[in-house]
Amino acid sequence: MTTATTPVRTPERASAPAVTARKHRPGLRRRLELALLLGPALLLFFGFVLVPIGIAAFYSVFNWNGFGPLDDFVGFKNYSDAFGGTVFQSAIVHNLIIAGLSIVVQLPLSIGLALLLNRKLRGRAVLRALVFAPYVLSEAITAVIWSLMLQPNGFADQTLRAAGLGGLVHNWLADPGIVLYTMFAVITWKYIGFGIILLLAGLQGVPAELREAAALDGASAWQTTRHVVLPLLGPTIRIWIFLSVIGSLQLFDVVWIMTTGGPANASTTMATYLIDHGFKRYEFGFGSAVAVILFVICFVFALLYQRFALRRDTQGALTRMVG
Amino acid sequence: MFVKRRITVLAALAAVAPLALSACSGGNEPPAQPSGPVTLTWWHNGTTDPIKTVWEKVVADYQKAHPEVTIKAQPLQNEDFGTKVPLALQSAEPPDIYQSWGAGDLAGQITSGKVADITGDTKDWIEQATGKFGEKWQVDGKQYGVPFTQHFVGFWYRKDLFQSAGITTPPKTMDELNAAVTQLKAKGIAPISVGGKDRWPDAFYFNYFAIRECSTAVLQQSVKAVKLEDPCWTKAGQDLKNFLATEPFQTGFAGTPAQQGAGSSAGLVANGKAAMELQGDWEPGTMSSLTEDKDLDSKIGWFPFPTVAGGQGDPAAALGGGDGYACTTRAYKACTAFLQYLVSEPVQTELSAKGTGLPVNAVAAKALKTDVLRQVYDYGTKAPYLQMYFDRAFPTAVGAALNDAVANMFAGQGTPEGIVTAVNQAAAGNK
Amino acid sequence: MRSGKFGLSMGYLAAIVVVGVTVVPLLFVALGGFRTTAQLNTDPAGLPGPWVFDNYASVLGSSAFWTFLGNSALIAVIATALAVGLGSMAGYALSRYQFKGREAFYTLFTLGLLFPLGVATLPLYLWLRQLGLLETFWGVAIPEAAFSLPVTIVILRPFMHAIPGEIEDAAVLDGTTRLGFFWRILLPLSTPALTTVAVLAFVTSWNAYLLPLLVFNDAGHFTLPLGVASFQSQYSQDTARVLAFTALSAIPALAFFVLAERRIVGGLTGSVKG
Repeated sequence: MTTATTPVRTPERASAPAVTARKHRPGLRRRLELALLLGPALLLFFGFVLVPIGIAAFYSVFNWNGFGPLDDFVGFKNYSDAFGGTVFQSAIVHNLIIAGLSIVVQLPLSIGLALLLNRKLRGRAVLRALVFAPYVLSEAITAVIWSLMLQPNGFADQTLRAAGLGGLVHNWLADPGIVLYTMFAVITWKYIGFGIILLLAGLQGVPAELREAAALDGASAWQTTRHVVLPLLGPTIRIWIFLSVIGSLQLFDVVWIMTTGGPANASTTMATYLIDHGFKRYEFGFGSAVAVILFVICFVFALLYQRFALRRDTQGALTRMVG
Repeated sequence: MFVKRRITVLAALAAVAPLALSACSGGNEPPAQPSGPVTLTWWHNGTTDPIKTVWEKVVADYQKAHPEVTIKAQPLQNEDFGTKVPLALQSAEPPDIYQSWGAGDLAGQITSGKVADITGDTKDWIEQATGKFGEKWQVDGKQYGVPFTQHFVGFWYRKDLFQSAGITTPPKTMDELNAAVTQLKAKGIAPISVGGKDRWPDAFYFNYFAIRECSTAVLQQSVKAVKLEDPCWTKAGQDLKNFLATEPFQTGFAGTPAQQGAGSSAGLVANGKAAMELQGDWEPGTMSSLTEDKDLDSKIGWFPFPTVAGGQGDPAAALGGGDGYACTTRAYKACTAFLQYLVSEPVQTELSAKGTGLPVNAVAAKALKTDVLRQVYDYGTKAPYLQMYFDRAFPTAVGAALNDAVANMFAGQGTPEGIVTAVNQAAAGNK
Repeated sequence: MRSGKFGLSMGYLAAIVVVGVTVVPLLFVALGGFRTTAQLNTDPAGLPGPWVFDNYASVLGSSAFWTFLGNSALIAVIATALAVGLGSMAGYALSRYQFKGREAFYTLFTLGLLFPLGVATLPLYLWLRQLGLLETFWGVAIPEAAFSLPVTIVILRPFMHAIPGEIEDAAVLDGTTRLGFFWRILLPLSTPALTTVAVLAFVTSWNAYLLPLLVFNDAGHFTLPLGVASFQSQYSQDTARVLAFTALSAIPALAFFVLAERRIVGGLTGSVKG
């Protein structure tokens, strides 16, 4: 007879004894190990990611067409222009809507599918491949296919009419009121595989014995899921949320190819805005400024999220309870 | 660890700062030209046939006639030029010959100092080969590129659909066009298709209304000053608004692409689902691949943009553009010699005969394959004034702002005054 | 236990619905290649009939396609190996070592996720040129690996942290070093997570467009996404051929996933039982 809480809620210990023991080892050896482990990645990352980002951010205080010398210093004018523009403001709103929808719609969907695909269904491998396949397709072809299907009287409309749901037919890509949600549907289709592969990996850390034990206790499938599986899946879910929100804020490729942010800026995201109004117009400084703004928004979210949501996943023991 | 990292950061920034700031300002002296055998890299957008084969033959023929020249052609997808050319012009080895669509882009590119001023090397032959069209590749009176093909924009229509709607002759005035739209709608035919998703097809309408409303002098002066001051511009916007109010376009036009993929506006006309489209001379080529109809050519006709009552513009003025090439400074003499070959009669005739577009060299016009292309060519070359599409005539940022403002109006937002304001603001450097 | 059977059939039902919605666009891509562009335009939703084999045949028969495939594969393998190799080492350090500034380093890596990398193309291009990496496969693979490091580390860190300390204690008792523990015990135990990040890095590299576009001018070096250009011109697009080309391009990446996903499911079972 197990108490229901023991497997799930482990008292948080300050730090695992195994880790503490190592603090007193010879410092040099440890530092060398750290340098060997962390160094190469850090070097690669610094050289090819941080430095270009830094330089790109440097452009943001100039008015620059990308061709001549960097000689037109404008301070923060690019930033104030960006914030003052209604198009950019609505772009921010669009990104936030997508981020919110991704948590409310995509997360339950991904979890449900991952749970489903984790069970011993027949043809499970085929199902997994099929659900992951959209992620493998490039954004360009995703846009081509969905544009084909969503055009007026295209496949989507024909299917709805055939199913007797003709009243639901809309101008999926041309109606400024719904184009953003159409984009969300396409994005969901494309990225569901990513969530599933991540959650499947996380589910491997949920031992079957726990679920069996809970079932023996008389818990229903739903209760088992809610009280046993989901909490253990917690770290993975929190990573998913982190990556998904960041991805929503950075959304570019699918929207760019399907609508270029239109019609009339109804589906603009911050990233399409900076490409459209910045780089495509040879205004490198302005584009860089908008990119920095986007970065700061993401950074604030990342900091807060790390501080409050992710902290517990890398501190304290999580899986020490199984003997 | 932190201190070490901070120093590393500073050191790295110091190392790359020169990179960031080193974009050199133009030298006044072009570099000494390479002597002896020279290899030219050529960036063109002919990734598919028919033009791909034409260019391959051009390279082979030129290399045979000029054994000291080797040409490395690198076809690049059209949309990628905007990404790659600015980067290449930042590097020390930009391509020797690259595609250019007119003075609007060139104006920015020459500030890199790497685009060659080829006035001296072209003045002996460019007017004879390209007429006045070559002037559209001049910035401040200096020649920076040479066109090899020209385009004119007009209404492509389906003769069979017009007939079934009872329209006997193509419309000549806006009133006649509106009447035709009404007749087509009565028959349940989408009167005009437009690729609203791409925004530049929308801009054709505003461009033409402006050409009809504004006198030639105003047009030239506005483009030169990059400022819209004359009230004719607002009138053009109002004309557009009135035209949009007649709802002449297909359902969901704001999401329809112009040419890419099935379901594009060109495809609608090709399959008889729309009766007209305002497009350039490339339209028949685009349409032919989008339909199984083998008789399409016989069903397609062309008429120029209608006249607008009370407009100060020349009623026969045309809207168009062209494709050309620009030279970078490293081997500009060899480059200009090659460009001279491109506008010579044999190459121009080949381009026309293979249906790649309208020639710039008048002697090649007789090689055009279909009557309707000849009709377009005659109309455009005989036009008293040819205006380049504004998004190519204006600097890129201004042109993009114009297209956006027009697209907004198509979507039901924006005002005629708004279009003018958007252009002037963009020209003033506001975003 | 009664709920078991019912739950299973509900599961099957849900699976069928999901698969239906997911698979239809995939079928479009696969079947679209068996029609002509003209057919696709006249009747977008129709099934192939007559079946046109020319598109797939010409793509498979063109040496350019296989060149692109080889280039894509080479770059993807290098980028994935670098990203997963370096990322797992960094993930280990960031998850199981305790040191000052650990969180700061982790945050540093996440910065790579927060900035739209397309903005940094100009500095990156100049930097690659300075290093002489233009027109080389390393010029694409190395930055791709660098761009994949943030996601790799963000995913690996909690997985690596969750591996019980007792295993580490037991290893120490056996006399292994920490690096030995990493190589011989931690990595095998992290197979699900490692496979996940490997698949993600591979697919990202496989579909990358911007970086190969910047680095390569010579068509002989192009990767598959760049190869689509040969079916698209300034004024039109051979949609059917593009679909055939894309369907074929997606197969290797999908195959990699299918082979890899067996490793995702089946990593930790048995290992936690003490």
